[in-house]
Amino acid sequence: MHPAPSIILFTVLSGFGFGLISIVGLLQFLNQISEFDIIIFSGMGLFFSIIGLISSFFHLANKKNAIKSLSQWQTSWLSREAISSVLCLSIVVGNIGWVIVQNRYINDVGIMLFLLSLFTVFTTSMIYAQLKTVPSWNNMLTPAIFIFAALAGGSILLMDFASLVLLLIFGVLQVLFWYTADQSFIYKETSVGTALGFSKNEDIRSFDLAHTSRNYLLNEMVYKVARKHSVKIRYISFFSAFVLPMSLVLMFPGNLSVSALVMASHLIGIYFSRWLFFAEAKHSVGFYYN
Amino acid sequence: MTKLPKCEDKKLGLLIDLDTCVGCHGCVVSCKEWNSSGGEKQLSDLNSHQKDPVGTFLNRVHSYERENSCTNETETFYFPRSCLHCEDAPCVTVCPTGASYKREEDGIVLVNEDDCMGCGLCAWACPYGARELDLVSGVMKKCTLCVDRIYSEELPPEDRVPVCVKSCPTGARAFGDFNDPNSDVSKKVKERGGVDLMPEMQTKPVNKYLLPRIKSKNSASSVGSVVEEETDATGLLGWVDRALSKF
Repeated sequence: MHPAPSIILFTVLSGFGFGLISIVGLLQFLNQISEFDIIIFSGMGLFFSIIGLISSFFHLANKKNAIKSLSQWQTSWLSREAISSVLCLSIVVGNIGWVIVQNRYINDVGIMLFLLSLFTVFTTSMIYAQLKTVPSWNNMLTPAIFIFAALAGGSILLMDFASLVLLLIFGVLQVLFWYTADQSFIYKETSVGTALGFSKNEDIRSFDLAHTSRNYLLNEMVYKVARKHSVKIRYISFFSAFVLPMSLVLMFPGNLSVSALVMASHLIGIYFSRWLFFAEAKHSVGFYYN
Repeated sequence: MTKLPKCEDKKLGLLIDLDTCVGCHGCVVSCKEWNSSGGEKQLSDLNSHQKDPVGTFLNRVHSYERENSCTNETETFYFPRSCLHCEDAPCVTVCPTGASYKREEDGIVLVNEDDCMGCGLCAWACPYGARELDLVSGVMKKCTLCVDRIYSEELPPEDRVPVCVKSCPTGARAFGDFNDPNSDVSKKVKERGGVDLMPEMQTKPVNKYLLPRIKSKNSASSVGSVVEEETDATGLLGWVDRALSKF
């Protein structure tokens, strides 16, 4: 699949933003955070989420109809994501406003924000996980890595021990995801044979092109560039998103300036991880162009 | 609405005979012509007279070769690929704006371009690559089964079929109601064993394909024997033959 920068930035930044909102919400529910920190950190979550959503807006080819994406919540995960993020961000704004005006917070709003922001990340992940056409996405590891990347990212600035645990879970899930992604089409029943109505093992090759230059399908779904570097990029991603943050948190617990560095490193790692998430994913339409 | 209706009345679709298709791309050209002329309809092209032309098409013809297990010879066939108007169309349910829909009365899957925001998710959800985003108008394009022809009251009755069917010079494409067991397409599917593409994707395509028939060893060798066999010439040629044979 084409690793469009707008979509990668969207999943990385809004994932981090909603992760931050969920952690602030959890701490608010547990009475473990100051009013000042709620304003700062949920404000930051709001900022990143909105930057992410704006970035996704630039992916649309016909932006004037974007508002209509709020209508099909009954069947469409993308629509659910749009509704859920608007709802969640409105509550964040309300919560910040309440804290500023009243100088205290309501604990129960915290749990609501925790659940709603994680649900938003879940809906984002289901946009990809629902697609039978892309086997490496079509499993529950996709929502799992999206949710734990968000939680781990969000916890770095606010927690020490918990962020270590969340980073560890994320690291394990990420390795598992890459492992299953490598096997995705091997275990599936699809082949050029079934794509053309024959049996799976039919020996069929393309001998001429259906069109003389690239088209939308090839650009969007049969993306092959730079897959040869994927193993190196996996190492970069894993080091930057997981190994370096883990080590820094262990060496300098509770140091806010180090946490900022950890956060930056983690986000860069997640960016590479998401780039691979798209670039390595193979779509079934590729069989027609074998 | 992006909820899929139960199409109990009619299931209109195409039956494509890969045994008959000669890969002329006539259906591709006529489809492009019909769907980009007149009114607001457009299937845009970019760089059409330059180095890397790209354009939107609703139908593409691929060319493949396969081993014949019976004769150990390589055979070629052509494969027109377009929307299959699936019963469980994944492209419809993923649509966030409600632009994609499946008609209850005949099962045709369409895009309402006034609602499409061009996110491209439906193209990702389609296993067959049947949807292409138009790069100029920014909305998703797909086969309409020529809904503006098949119900047209202005066209003469014999023209009220999809233009790809009408234009196919070998009659490799047929149009009909797959829900009616007595329709021509249903009978042919039964008789020749029509197949679904990627049945494992559980999309339940309405369009069916008839695969190229396997040519048997006998039919292949009999072609050879016709070529090699020498028959005794008669008449003037026979006299020349006999006369030349003497030397």
